[in-house]
Amino acid sequence: MVLALAGSLVHAGVGLQPTLNPAGWPQLRRFLAAAVEPAASPEFLRLTWEATLTTLAYAVLGTAMALGIGVVAGVVISETWWRRPPSGRSRRRGRVGEVGGWLASRLVVGLPRGVHEAVWGLFLVSILGLDPLVGVLAIGIPYGAVTAKVYAELLDEAPRGPFEALRSAGVGRVRALTYALAPLAFPDLLSYAFYRFECAIRGAAILGIIGAGGLGFQLALSFQSLRYDEMWTLIYALVAVCGLADWWSTTLRRRSALPTRTIAGLPAEREGHDSVVAIRPSLRRDRRLHASAVVAVALVVVSVWHLGIDVSTLWAPRAQRLASEIATSSLPPDLGAANLARLAALGVQTLEMSVIAAVAACVAGMVAAFAVAGGSDGSRPAGALRQVGAIGARGLLLVARAVPPPVGALLLLFVLLPGPLPGALALALYNAGILGRLMAEVVENLDPGPLGALRSQGASPGQGFVYATLPRTLPRFAAFGLYRWEVTIRETVVVGLVGAGGLGRLLGQQLAAFDYRGVTATVAALVVLTFAVDVVSAAVRRSLR
Amino acid sequence: MSGTDRLDVLEARTSPLRPRTARTGTSTPRPRTTVAPRRPRRRPVLVSVLVAVVVVLGGCGSADEATSGGGARNPVAPAGDQVFTIGAIPDQDPEKLQRLYGTVADYLSEELGVTVDYEPVTDYAASVSLFRAGDLDMVWFGGLTGVQARLQVDGAEAILQRGIDERFHSVFIANTATGLQPIDDLAGLAQLEGRRFTFGSESSTSGRLMPEHFLRQAGVSPETDFAGPPGFSGSHDKTIELVAAGTFEAGVVNEQVWNSRRDAGEVDPGKVTAIFRTPPYHDYHWVIRPDVAERFGDDFVDRVKAAFTGLDRSDPTEAEILELFGADEFIQTDNGNYAEIEEVAGDLGLIAR
Repeated sequence: MVLALAGSLVHAGVGLQPTLNPAGWPQLRRFLAAAVEPAASPEFLRLTWEATLTTLAYAVLGTAMALGIGVVAGVVISETWWRRPPSGRSRRRGRVGEVGGWLASRLVVGLPRGVHEAVWGLFLVSILGLDPLVGVLAIGIPYGAVTAKVYAELLDEAPRGPFEALRSAGVGRVRALTYALAPLAFPDLLSYAFYRFECAIRGAAILGIIGAGGLGFQLALSFQSLRYDEMWTLIYALVAVCGLADWWSTTLRRRSALPTRTIAGLPAEREGHDSVVAIRPSLRRDRRLHASAVVAVALVVVSVWHLGIDVSTLWAPRAQRLASEIATSSLPPDLGAANLARLAALGVQTLEMSVIAAVAACVAGMVAAFAVAGGSDGSRPAGALRQVGAIGARGLLLVARAVPPPVGALLLLFVLLPGPLPGALALALYNAGILGRLMAEVVENLDPGPLGALRSQGASPGQGFVYATLPRTLPRFAAFGLYRWEVTIRETVVVGLVGAGGLGRLLGQQLAAFDYRGVTATVAALVVLTFAVDVVSAAVRRSLR
Repeated sequence: MSGTDRLDVLEARTSPLRPRTARTGTSTPRPRTTVAPRRPRRRPVLVSVLVAVVVVLGGCGSADEATSGGGARNPVAPAGDQVFTIGAIPDQDPEKLQRLYGTVADYLSEELGVTVDYEPVTDYAASVSLFRAGDLDMVWFGGLTGVQARLQVDGAEAILQRGIDERFHSVFIANTATGLQPIDDLAGLAQLEGRRFTFGSESSTSGRLMPEHFLRQAGVSPETDFAGPPGFSGSHDKTIELVAAGTFEAGVVNEQVWNSRRDAGEVDPGKVTAIFRTPPYHDYHWVIRPDVAERFGDDFVDRVKAAFTGLDRSDPTEAEILELFGADEFIQTDNGNYAEIEEVAGDLGLIAR
């Protein structure tokens, strides 16, 4: 890992050639100064309000679709589903069927996952035209695939005893799953659903840049002519909506005593499962949960109506005609030797960007997480200074993940020289916002016992941190970081679109030239890369557990 | 800056894929109480806030629906629905035109006697796709994107341009600290070799296509001869800022944007300076789909032309439209004017041949 990082940094030119451009500081400062003077004319505020509702509606429907796909496909791609009952027939044939079926289904969901939602958006626009469904599908399809993968892992992680008992007794797969597995995994599935929702809000904002409306669209417009005051108003709106979603999820999880261990889809800790079983009865009676379910359904209905969704466009003759036109112009992909060599070289660059981004995001996220948790942790009340620090860090994290990576890339480009580094660091900043929040939750949920024991033995705060806090959080942090590494591969596309290098830059040029065969090949390369990173990071995560 | 003080007439319509209920700019959220669903008492704060969100979301939608007139267009409208849909990707102050487009749609509706829908789009590739799909009947394209769009739609026609588009120019700019000097002829562009250089958007005629053509004429091959690959900043304003910051030592922008920013005092002459004005070429123009004649009548294209060429500065609304497009006047054009662009685009691999 360290070697990969060092290699990436050296290749990106760090330390070998100048990377800083201090002369660009006034440009960056103008953007930062506008933070305290956002555009606030009544007209612009009304525009922001309406854009916020549209973004929210896209996020709600995109999440709903993702969860629908996630539940169905997640079951089908789980190892548990493919496992034969213990008393199965011919053992060897069964084993081949198990592994084969599981791998094939894995590949099927790997495909939509490797393609960024912005690319999905462009593809869908050329088939469906001006239709709000484009925005919903562009979020729903890739997020559905991610959700399916995570749900499959959660199901596989849930205690399998009751399920296998039912299966051995001859109960069908679907029923055994419904009665024995799903209830055990439910809290984790729910908390991940909320995490996805917050991601979908940000996803809808990035989609706006290709024309899916709402805050992202307005942000793209103001960004084109660098109206920083307008950009800040829109960013604050995004922060508010994300904050609201976060608050809904936290409230629900805390008050319903749902565990918060599986944010970002990481498997639950083993010892936690007793408590999952223990809270089962209270789940049933929880009114907040019921009320939230009602609200969620209402939000979906209202969003369908607000956006004017009409699914019949999907099978309209025109969509079929355009889809077949796109298929003929984009297949077969351009796989000539020259193009393959180019894809390999740029793929390495993309990989390097993703490594730098993931590691930097991890480090920054960790620092922020301890700052955030510093306001509330430990047995004694935190000092005023630490509380202020905690609030500040929380706010910074919120803003960091609300600034779309293309915007971040341009800002960094003011003070850094061109190359892959500004794009990588823009992704790092964005992902640090996400990771910091997830990591802070880990720190906050830490059992205070060991630290308290050390401190009462006379250990200094520093010693307590090093010997009690760090050892129990670092493996989890590393796991989060590895998970985001795969995501950053896909996201290099959006910073590539602003010229930050790698496969994303090539994709931008191919899209501008309507070189569909080239686009197909580049997208395929990104899918392969995502898949490879997924395999590596899954292996490392397994070894960390 | 005129961009912000004119937001007072801003019509808050949203996006190309915007909700069809959010059609008009005159909507106001309906008072919550009128549509508040029945809800039990003593709910936790959480639930009441969420309910309020639902209600407001719904309230807005319904208010929009109530006030939206004939302008509302069903995205899957039957063939008989006569709505003329237009879109534009302006290079200069996109946020102004895209947020004030109601003015343009209303004017054309009145002039043409048909419902006109303006769909704001920010992405070149998306707007070409929409033109090809038939969801946009007429689009304000750049030189290159217009050619790309016509190649994808048989019979599409370039009909109108602004006065300045007949002889459009790009301006090469440089950071003053580089010591790059103004040059008089194309060959002088060779001094940019070995410098950090940025174009604008990949699809831009004035920020990429023609400058790349002129650079090649001067013997500079962009992919190999600069210090590192050239940047694609994404817009002319970003190019100016990045060159002013010194991130890139030189860049190239649309002359109209450059002049407007310089005249508005937004460019620091101590940091960034113009070094070369390119030879002229054709740029922006309206391209119209061939099927409008059968849908709106044989003389429809002529009526569209008349609506634009007849824009009169003495009328406040019409003057505003001219200003939104950064136009002195609109004049006719035809496909033949873009033969050079097409040839250059072919040379640079930006269109399939």
